[in-house]
Amino acid sequence: MKEKFARWDILFLQYLKRDWKKIIFWILGIGLFSGGFVPAFEEIAKGQGLIGMFETLQNPAMVSMVGPTPVETAADYTIGAMYAHEMLLFCGLFAMIMAVLHVIGHTRKEEDLGLTELVRSFQIGRQANSLAAMAEVVVINIILALFISALLIVFNVDTISFQGSFLFGASIGMAGVIGAVIGLVMAQIMPASSSATGSALGIVGLLYIARAGTDVSNVDFSMFNPLGWTYLTYPFTDNNWLPIIFALIFSVVMVILAFALEGGRDIGAGYLPEREGRENAKRSLLSVRGLFIKLNRGVTIGWLIGFGVMGAAYGSIYGDMQTFLESNEMMKQMFAQSGVSIEESFTGTIMMVMMVLVSILPIVVVNKLFAEESRQHLSQLYATKVTRGQFYWTTIGLAVIAGLIGTLLAAGGLGGTAISVMEDSAAMDISDFLAAGYNFLPSVLFFTALAALALGWAPKLGKVVYAYLGYSFILNYFDSILDLPEWFLKTAVQSWIPQMPTDSFDAPVFITITVISIVLMIVGYLGYNRRDMIEGA
Amino acid sequence: MTEIVKIKGLQKKFGKFQALSDVTFRVGAGEVVGFIGPNGAGKSTTIRALLGIIKRDAGKAEIFGKDVWKDSLEIHKRISYVPGDVALWGSLTGGEIIDLFMKLHGGGDKQKRDYLIKRFELDPKKKSKGYSKGNRQKVGLIAALSVDSDLYIFDEPTSGLDPLMEAVFQEEVEKIKEAGKSILLSSHILSEVERLADRVVIIRQGEIVESGTLDELRHLTRSAVTLATEKDVSKMETVEGVHDFMQKDNQATFSADNKYINDILMEATKLGVKKFEAVPPTLEDLFMRHYEG
Ligand SMILES: Nc1ncnc2c1ncn2[C@@H]1O[C@H](COP(=O)(O)OP(=O)(O)OP(=O)(O)O)[C@@H](O)[C@H]1O
Ligand SMILES: [Mg+2]
Repeated sequence: MKEKFARWDILFLQYLKRDWKKIIFWILGIGLFSGGFVPAFEEIAKGQGLIGMFETLQNPAMVSMVGPTPVETAADYTIGAMYAHEMLLFCGLFAMIMAVLHVIGHTRKEEDLGLTELVRSFQIGRQANSLAAMAEVVVINIILALFISALLIVFNVDTISFQGSFLFGASIGMAGVIGAVIGLVMAQIMPASSSATGSALGIVGLLYIARAGTDVSNVDFSMFNPLGWTYLTYPFTDNNWLPIIFALIFSVVMVILAFALEGGRDIGAGYLPEREGRENAKRSLLSVRGLFIKLNRGVTIGWLIGFGVMGAAYGSIYGDMQTFLESNEMMKQMFAQSGVSIEESFTGTIMMVMMVLVSILPIVVVNKLFAEESRQHLSQLYATKVTRGQFYWTTIGLAVIAGLIGTLLAAGGLGGTAISVMEDSAAMDISDFLAAGYNFLPSVLFFTALAALALGWAPKLGKVVYAYLGYSFILNYFDSILDLPEWFLKTAVQSWIPQMPTDSFDAPVFITITVISIVLMIVGYLGYNRRDMIEGA
Repeated sequence: MTEIVKIKGLQKKFGKFQALSDVTFRVGAGEVVGFIGPNGAGKSTTIRALLGIIKRDAGKAEIFGKDVWKDSLEIHKRISYVPGDVALWGSLTGGEIIDLFMKLHGGGDKQKRDYLIKRFELDPKKKSKGYSKGNRQKVGLIAALSVDSDLYIFDEPTSGLDPLMEAVFQEEVEKIKEAGKSILLSSHILSEVERLADRVVIIRQGEIVESGTLDELRHLTRSAVTLATEKDVSKMETVEGVHDFMQKDNQATFSADNKYINDILMEATKLGVKKFEAVPPTLEDLFMRHYEG
């Protein structure tokens, strides 16, 4: 036993030393984001702010995004209650994703790159690396939890209590640990680091959507969801430490499982078997398009299934909306006055969120071409009669098609499920849902075009497009809560597009953004056609 | 002689770093040119520029009389290339990758392919993730040799191959050489170059420092001479063209400039030659001189 983990502590210290910049960035980034918005919330709370916010967040669309609150009347809704309600789930999710990426990056990815073999040739235990990486994440999340707690306390707000602050920080830190153990387990099961990352993030996404459903229908069920164990602690209100204990038990079990799985496999191998391959290529592979489809297939199918499931999960919430309205007189009046049905309003908000996620896929596909380039997979192909234009436009074409199908699955999944659960009370038909989805097509194209532009002129910046996507998501996410200034909001491309079916279709905006996107793609092509191919960078 | 490859004053900078400062050489029709030089000298960079993978900053570079950047497509129909580090898609098998490459290149020969797979002893059914370095290299070689081309560009093609497979490669290259094709071969395995190349081009720090047939180059260097004479051999030390003179009794070893070899012999006969041995420089020696110098 001891031998397996021999000298893990040396690796652990080595990792801390190697990663210290990333760790500081990580803790400051998530920490400031999680704990630093107290003044903004004090601002919102002025006057009737708390009551207004309480009512807004009763809306199922909002509950499915930010989660529930245990507070039953607006009068009990304090700044602390609001802070936990709006921030905790999102920040926990953030911490979780970060930990997933870090753990898989330090375990499976290094293994795939052959670094583990090197390390293991020194006197280091077979499983020392996993233990060291795991220990590192735990330490980081403990520091993160303390940092957030301290930050909250420093703001010195009456309703942000001492105990609540620690619980808030602990919930986020715990979310990180949960993400790490999910990542560690997937790193053992999957055949490669990319599929481990994909499946682990997919699980986190499913947990998020599942809790959206249970939060709206019956919040008790969210208690069975590891992601639920973050916000269900209800800091500053119920101060419930029980979910933290669940999370601890869960994490220990998962770590033991991961080590058992790792102990039973070879370096570089997974548990999903490899089949024997073909001696000759199928005809369908024998072209640039065939090759690129094959290379992107696994990831794309994964994401597409995710979109369909996401749509269906959100769609299932529609059945409970009328029930919800019956029980909430004020909301009922609000919707009656605005002339928009609760279903329509929900569709508009959720569609925006889903379409941000759908935009990830085309970016993934476009960035793949540069990944292939720098791994030197294409070296020999450059010397054939294939043009750079073929590489570029095939990729862009696949990205756009992936976006179109993704939209279809997300909007169709939402609409199909919504209509079936609403039965005959349905006020919208499937075309309304699809229209609301494809209404966001220009934003999907725009993100594709940004990735294409990067590919052509500064391929190393391809990852920055994700950052911008995340930025616009956060902006739109917080817009419904914070009421951001117009110019600021407009820096996110989706903000230009009206949310159907609540708002009506805006053809000039639709066409303008589409045209801009196409122009950017062409500009990207000009760059791609004349730049040096980068090999091994 | 028609020129297949013609490079003149080729330059390339990566940021501030001048990778190629002056590369000039040519490859004639039916000629095998060995392209050698120390690590980081710019061999791969030159080859990448020739293939249009990177864009040159200055100078001329033509293949088949066409500009390598502007007319790359026309050129690529008639060339084959094997990089020194063949990277493959892990999820595809070697067989699939070879087929794909042949299709994208055009003009592939299925029988030749099967023949080469046998000769190189490659298992084409294996996912390439599981290939060793040498086996990956074989995939690249088989793909490039299965298609019909007029110019073959090899950048350290045999890195990772075992000696047996290296010999197979050399035999196959000799076949295409006999078929009158041109070959540009960059390699660190000098015996390989010595065996295959008609001419050698040596590059150092982005500049061509020497080029010519092996014989011509030999002439520029020194032979290792062992000489025993009846009279005092120490007189030889001052003769022009003699270097690194070492004496033991009446026997001396020294290196001699090949162009003074006649004068040296004349001087030696005056002393009464008992023994004279001259070993011509190997490419290795030649190379060392340029690499170190
Ligand atoms: N894309 C690039 N960016 C920056 N520098 C580069 C790039 N490609 C090559 N270099 C540099 O240019 C120089 C020449 O490299 P090149 O690969 O041509 O050498 P080489 O002669 O092929 O060496 P080796 O024998 O090791 O293969 C090296 O110093 C290398 O670091
Ligand atoms: Mg090289």
